[in-house]
Amino acid sequence: MAEENVTFTLPDLGEGLVEATVLEWQVAVGDRVERNAPLVEVETTKSAVVIPSPKEGRIVELHAEEDEVVAVGAPLVTFAVEADAPQAGIVGRVPTEEARPARRVRLKPPTD
Amino acid sequence: MTELIERDDATTEPPTVELSMQQAINRALRVLLAEDPSTLVFGEDVGALGGVFRVTDGLQKEFGDQRVFDTPLAESAIMGMAVGLAMNGWRPVPELQFDGFAYPAVDQIVNQVARMNYRTRGAAPMPITLRLPSFGGIQAPEHHGESLEALFAHTPGLKVAVPSDAAEAYSLLLQSVRSDDPVVYMEPKARYWDRGPVELREPTDPIGTSRIVRHGRHATLIAWGAMVHRCLKVAELAAEDGVDLEVLDLRWLKPIDAAGLAASVSRTRRAVVVHEAPLTAGLGAEVAALVTENCFRDLAAPVQRVTGFDVPYPAGPLEPQYLPTIDRVLFAVQRTLEY
Repeated sequence: MAEENVTFTLPDLGEGLVEATVLEWQVAVGDRVERNAPLVEVETTKSAVVIPSPKEGRIVELHAEEDEVVAVGAPLVTFAVEADAPQAGIVGRVPTEEARPARRVRLKPPTD
Repeated sequence: MTELIERDDATTEPPTVELSMQQAINRALRVLLAEDPSTLVFGEDVGALGGVFRVTDGLQKEFGDQRVFDTPLAESAIMGMAVGLAMNGWRPVPELQFDGFAYPAVDQIVNQVARMNYRTRGAAPMPITLRLPSFGGIQAPEHHGESLEALFAHTPGLKVAVPSDAAEAYSLLLQSVRSDDPVVYMEPKARYWDRGPVELREPTDPIGTSRIVRHGRHATLIAWGAMVHRCLKVAELAAEDGVDLEVLDLRWLKPIDAAGLAASVSRTRRAVVVHEAPLTAGLGAEVAALVTENCFRDLAAPVQRVTGFDVPYPAGPLEPQYLPTIDRVLFAVQRTLEY
């Protein structure tokens, strides 16, 4: 399946913040990351927060070193995501299916 | 999007394309908007955003904001406006963003949309198709996973359609919107991302007919929406035990295909109805009654029902327990086989 690169920029994590310092990356280049999994811990003038991953995909590039200050709106991380991957709407999530559904009940064919 | 068969000018064969259910509905809406300038698509976020599930993506850009437009967050107003538009010659295709938020519009749907044709002795038909993302399975919050089909099917004057895959979504929507009767078109959210081949052709099965999705001889599983897919999974597992299940997709819940139901169950002699809605007074009871009336002498066992429970629709983490599980359906099949 085709992949495309998507770059996530540092959002305003408070109201009117202009920058944040990268404390610790929780992913490395080449890692696969799930949506909502921990991505990076940053510190703003208000608090230290862990930013969850907005995408499911493979990490292609981290745009800042630890202890580096990143401006709001500047590139933070680039993901390679599957271009045709199902995207959930605003509410809910795409159901996943077991390749082979679990079962406990066994059947006996009718005798008639 | 993969074009499996390119249109060939030398033949009249329609192209078949691989689409998700979202894309199939979008494609049908494009056909409908293009063929009839009186068709209008409106609802919360259907325009600029393209719908919360991207079902109306690109339609406003293609057809303009006079024909595809956003409305205030007011379901009763959306349906009330649809009534006024229909009375003035338009063909409205409103969307209510989620099933659970249809309740504020039930007054308009039941007291105006469903009755206006009768009330005016045919002078004011209501060619409205209400698109309603319905049912559960996507772990959404409260009010986002309801199953209202019994409410609408019980209301005289409405038709109710429920597609179960992308191809069905395409053809049922064409039929619904072209119908001069009001149709509640319930889209199973859990199957929005399900991809399959869609023949871009005119529907041939009449409104109100069911379809056999899998042929079998030991029992008929009767379902609609996302539960059709689950019943197909059950049938695959049952086959491992030597039990051959037929799966019938009801697809029109009003009018119900009583003859199609009877034909299948008369052959298999056993029936299990599977639906997401709660058991009591659910549509499964109607199906069971129809089967009993029409197949009484053929039946080897009473009709079984596997349904949601008689509780408000649960929070996301409990959905797997609430929705009919593979084992609950298999157990019902076993009950009917050994009756």
